[in-house]
Amino acid sequence: MTRQVQDAYIVVATRTAVGKAPRGMYKNTRPDDLLAHVIRSAIAQCPGLDPREIGDVIAGCAMPEGEQGMNVARIGLLLAGLPDTVPGMTINRFCSSGLQAVADAAARIRLGEAEVMIAAGIESMSMVPMGGNKPSFSPAIFEKDENVAIAYGMGITAERVAAQWKINREDQDLFAAESHRRANWATDAGEFRDEISPYAISERLPDLERRQIAVRTRRAEQDEGPRRDTSVEALAKLKPAFAAKGSVTAGNSSQMSDGAAAVVLMSEAAMKRCKLEPLGRFLGYAVAGVAPEVMGIGPVQAIPKVLAQAGLKQEQLDWIELNEAFAAQSLAVMRELGLDPAKVNPLGGAIALGHPLGATGAIRTATLLHGLRRHKKQYGMVTMCIGTGMGAAGLFEAL
Amino acid sequence: MSAKSPLLVRKVAVLGAGVMGAQIAAHLINANVPVVLFELAAKEGDPNGNVLKAVANLKKLEPSPLATKDRADLIEPANYDQHLDRLAECDIVIEAISERMDWKADLYRKVAPHLGAHTIFASNTSGLSINSLAGVFPEAQRNRFCGVHFFNPPRYMHLVELIACSGTDAGILDELERFLVTTLGKGVVRAKDTPNFIANRVGVFSMLATLHHAERLGIGFDTVDALTGPLVGRPKSATFRTADVVGLDTFAHVVHTMRDTLPEDPWHKYYAIPAWMQKLIEAGALGQKTRKGVYQKVGRDIQVLELKTGAYRVSDGKADEAVVEILKNKNAAERFAQLHASNHPQAQFIWSIFRDTFHYCALHLESIAHNARDLDFAIRWGFGWDSGPFEIWQSAGWKQVAGWIDADIATGKTMVAAPLPAWVGEASRNGVHGATGSWAPATQDYQSRSALPVYRRQPFPDRLLGEERTYGKTIFETDGVRCWHMGDDIAIVSFKSRMHAIGDDVLQGVQQAIDEAERNYAGLVIWQIEPPFSVGANLKKTSGSGAKAPPAPPSALGKLFKNFKREAESLALKAARQLGVADQLMAGKLAEVEHLVEQFQVTTQMLKYSMVPTVAAVDGLALGGGCEFIMHSDRAVATLESYIGLVEVGVGLLPAGGGCKEFTMRAAAEAKGGDISPFLQKYFKAVAMAEVGRSAEHARELGYLRATDRVVMNRFELLEIAKAEARALAAAGYRPPLRAKAIPVLGRSGISTIRAFVENMHAGGHISDHDRLIAAKVATVMCGGDIESGSLVDEQWLLDLERQHFMELIATEKSQERIEHMLKTGKPLRN
Repeated sequence: MTRQVQDAYIVVATRTAVGKAPRGMYKNTRPDDLLAHVIRSAIAQCPGLDPREIGDVIAGCAMPEGEQGMNVARIGLLLAGLPDTVPGMTINRFCSSGLQAVADAAARIRLGEAEVMIAAGIESMSMVPMGGNKPSFSPAIFEKDENVAIAYGMGITAERVAAQWKINREDQDLFAAESHRRANWATDAGEFRDEISPYAISERLPDLERRQIAVRTRRAEQDEGPRRDTSVEALAKLKPAFAAKGSVTAGNSSQMSDGAAAVVLMSEAAMKRCKLEPLGRFLGYAVAGVAPEVMGIGPVQAIPKVLAQAGLKQEQLDWIELNEAFAAQSLAVMRELGLDPAKVNPLGGAIALGHPLGATGAIRTATLLHGLRRHKKQYGMVTMCIGTGMGAAGLFEAL
Repeated sequence: MSAKSPLLVRKVAVLGAGVMGAQIAAHLINANVPVVLFELAAKEGDPNGNVLKAVANLKKLEPSPLATKDRADLIEPANYDQHLDRLAECDIVIEAISERMDWKADLYRKVAPHLGAHTIFASNTSGLSINSLAGVFPEAQRNRFCGVHFFNPPRYMHLVELIACSGTDAGILDELERFLVTTLGKGVVRAKDTPNFIANRVGVFSMLATLHHAERLGIGFDTVDALTGPLVGRPKSATFRTADVVGLDTFAHVVHTMRDTLPEDPWHKYYAIPAWMQKLIEAGALGQKTRKGVYQKVGRDIQVLELKTGAYRVSDGKADEAVVEILKNKNAAERFAQLHASNHPQAQFIWSIFRDTFHYCALHLESIAHNARDLDFAIRWGFGWDSGPFEIWQSAGWKQVAGWIDADIATGKTMVAAPLPAWVGEASRNGVHGATGSWAPATQDYQSRSALPVYRRQPFPDRLLGEERTYGKTIFETDGVRCWHMGDDIAIVSFKSRMHAIGDDVLQGVQQAIDEAERNYAGLVIWQIEPPFSVGANLKKTSGSGAKAPPAPPSALGKLFKNFKREAESLALKAARQLGVADQLMAGKLAEVEHLVEQFQVTTQMLKYSMVPTVAAVDGLALGGGCEFIMHSDRAVATLESYIGLVEVGVGLLPAGGGCKEFTMRAAAEAKGGDISPFLQKYFKAVAMAEVGRSAEHARELGYLRATDRVVMNRFELLEIAKAEARALAAAGYRPPLRAKAIPVLGRSGISTIRAFVENMHAGGHISDHDRLIAAKVATVMCGGDIESGSLVDEQWLLDLERQHFMELIATEKSQERIEHMLKTGKPLRN
């Protein structure tokens, strides 16, 4: 039950191409620069908008420290050239941070507290590794056995899900190969063209031969993750990456990535003022907790919760962006809820397209909204599992 | 270059990035010699494609030709199309391309105009005549032309044969020898320019003789290898596995060189490849590189070719018990008498191959080598034999063996009928090695060792049978150690225990040596007469009297070679076997164990805080407590082939002689007030995974050696350099370090952060419950205990933690099971 006074509409959703980490195309590109870029690009797509109307910029980031620390949202919006009067905050719910930013921005509009909001997601796993620059765990975690899973790496939790939901290696590898196949098809078909804001990478490198600084520029306009050369056979040869006798490999897990996305949300009144057409309407968002050691199953709790909130049935969903943290947990979620594989990640998922932790939610919101519109579908969802045991799901309607 | 000026080697070029060329380049880089590696330009893509591929391959080879993997990237890639101008800046060029006279001639013509005015040009040919090669080299540059023949694998094989052509400048050869000995750490033998030089000529003949007699007596190849390996003082790969490793095609090439170039040789008819081997080569079964040769691996089975059937069968050949009994007799004269007298085909086989090899060496010594010492060292250093053929003959009783050979020649049992040379049977002769030198048939006298200045750096060169050897003057001697000096101001302490394990007697001895050095000497060096440096703590109490001095085999290098692969694979296990704590444990004498741990800590602290500099001179294994001695010495001087590590975790214990403490202190110092975690994590990993350095430089990477510690290439120079270090420290006004009173530690938060990593290993099934417990204890010790992060502690606090957690671990049933299992089986127990 919501107490909203108005609807929140998404008018712009744009993202960078996703780079591989830690040695991909953005290895020398700072996350605050990427964030500034997507904000700038989003604003450019709202020609009638006076930036002073923006109520807040909320950016999701899973490891908000180092190059993406110090409230990267505020830094990013200032670097993007927004007026000093526009505030910004960084939020963190690990892998759902980008979606959480969209939900929080929508909530402010729906409550009538704001008319224009920017939600964003940003992550450079090249510069800030998983776990952060200085991981530190509380001694209390090890005082009780039931808390130990707080310290588990995500790969171990995927193994637990694979074991508990009986997801075998072959199915995981088949799923991974299909993710690449779909991502390659989508790339070739230009499916991502509408949502990507190409970024001009500029790197200053020492040219030791000529004794001068070499400036190398490249245009990043295509996702780096999808592999043309992978196959079920090649994937089957990979060794388990986390457990000695496990089934989860580097090939059937999501890739480490760098990327950013920005979403502009508005009330109907603001939209009319700016003479903008909506991409879609925000319908709802839910999060739920599960046991940390099987964090990958989180969406199983979050998806029914948000559907109930919005009064929709699962069968009504046309398109589901389910973040492929691991093939094992994706398959477990799909089987547990009976999701139609054809409707889940039709353009490929994180195993092929990459998973820049806190940015993913915003990135896939862009994919979903542009995809729904292009393919003339109505209801769509972005959902993911979250480290230490949570699931999140956001509902959208294309307009 | 005039003959007088020293050879400054700023850079070396290696031509040819094949198996040998690339590995020689790697070894030059190991020795900090900049190197350019040339190969043919690639036809497609990057012109350096071929050479880069060879460099990348160096990282994959086992045992590694590189001291540390990343050194490969310091090899400068080049190709003949683009980079010949770089030759001008190279002081030495080593040619190591295929053994084809026409190809070499083409290459020489191409590169000669680009060589610097001082460049020495040396061919690594193994078979072609150096004088013939010199003939295709421009005459004006021939005084700088010679042969340097490395052995495969060049990092590990001590031998380099140095061969002059008729025009080579003598001064240049001497300088090159200095470079090969000191800079590259090699054992140089000056060979005459005869086909295959010395080592391959004799070594390959010995293999041919083995082939001949095996076929004659119908002994299977696997049985031959069981007989001709360690049982007769040769490497484990023995005969046919060596051929597989070398490559049957390469072996055939060497044999064909002998066939083509030695028509007058009495053994000429044996310079042939047997039909079965020819068939293998034609079928592409070349040995290890094609995974099929005399042996092949099928699944987990090693299979061997059976001559009779022409098919492979499971390899299970064994030496007969009766023959093993003979071969185990330490008295060489008795051993050979028994072999000679026995009718057992295996005994006859061994006698026959030794007899014909002796026969061959005696007859050819004059033409191929300057003296008998050179021949013996060539075989020891190049083929990994414990003793050279003449040493074996001499130790078996020269006259007795000579008589048997004569008799066998007379009765037609030898491979050829040529009589032994006259000098063999001289009435006064009891051998070829004596106090005044080794026999040189050409000059009919005994030649002493080389008088080149480089050998003054070797107070104790590799020992040869018959040589007198005394190690300085004794200062004092106990059951555990001998403390001595060489007539100067540096005291030396050497351990007497087996594998130089450190027990109570060694600890007391080292403490006494430190006292002695403080009172009467400028410094103390810990040096062992033979490797290893030490395999670690031996908590077994030695019996009061009658402790035996370590056996001193004539060649430690032969042993080292035999062991290098095994060492690299299972260093931890060997050391752990020495941890003889079982006795005390079984007797429930934990208090005694704790006392020894205390004494260990007292000793290592004394090494660190003594009033004179202490220098650990390290060669070979240095594990556990041996590693802790190194970590506490003011300086370590280690040969490249030092394998250093804290391996206690392998038997369910943790380093408690100050090893954990030193790592904690080093991490804190390196952090310089910043975050200690990344520094400590590296050291935690080394201890928790019982990591052992694959070279001294790798040990430095792991953190066991410090930036100030020194790596030495030639083990025979180790003592001299260690003494120089001690003297330099003393001359600089040595003071022991001040005792640290405020060491910041990571504390409880650090422990739990490491535990998070450990829990993931456990949850992933990589480690057992007990592994997890051990790792948690190591983390606790290295983080300074369950105290607040950033707390300041002193050394004794850390030492007490080490001791406490060591004792807690040794009291667990599972650690005791591990120790017992290791002692019984030599294999680790994962419980």
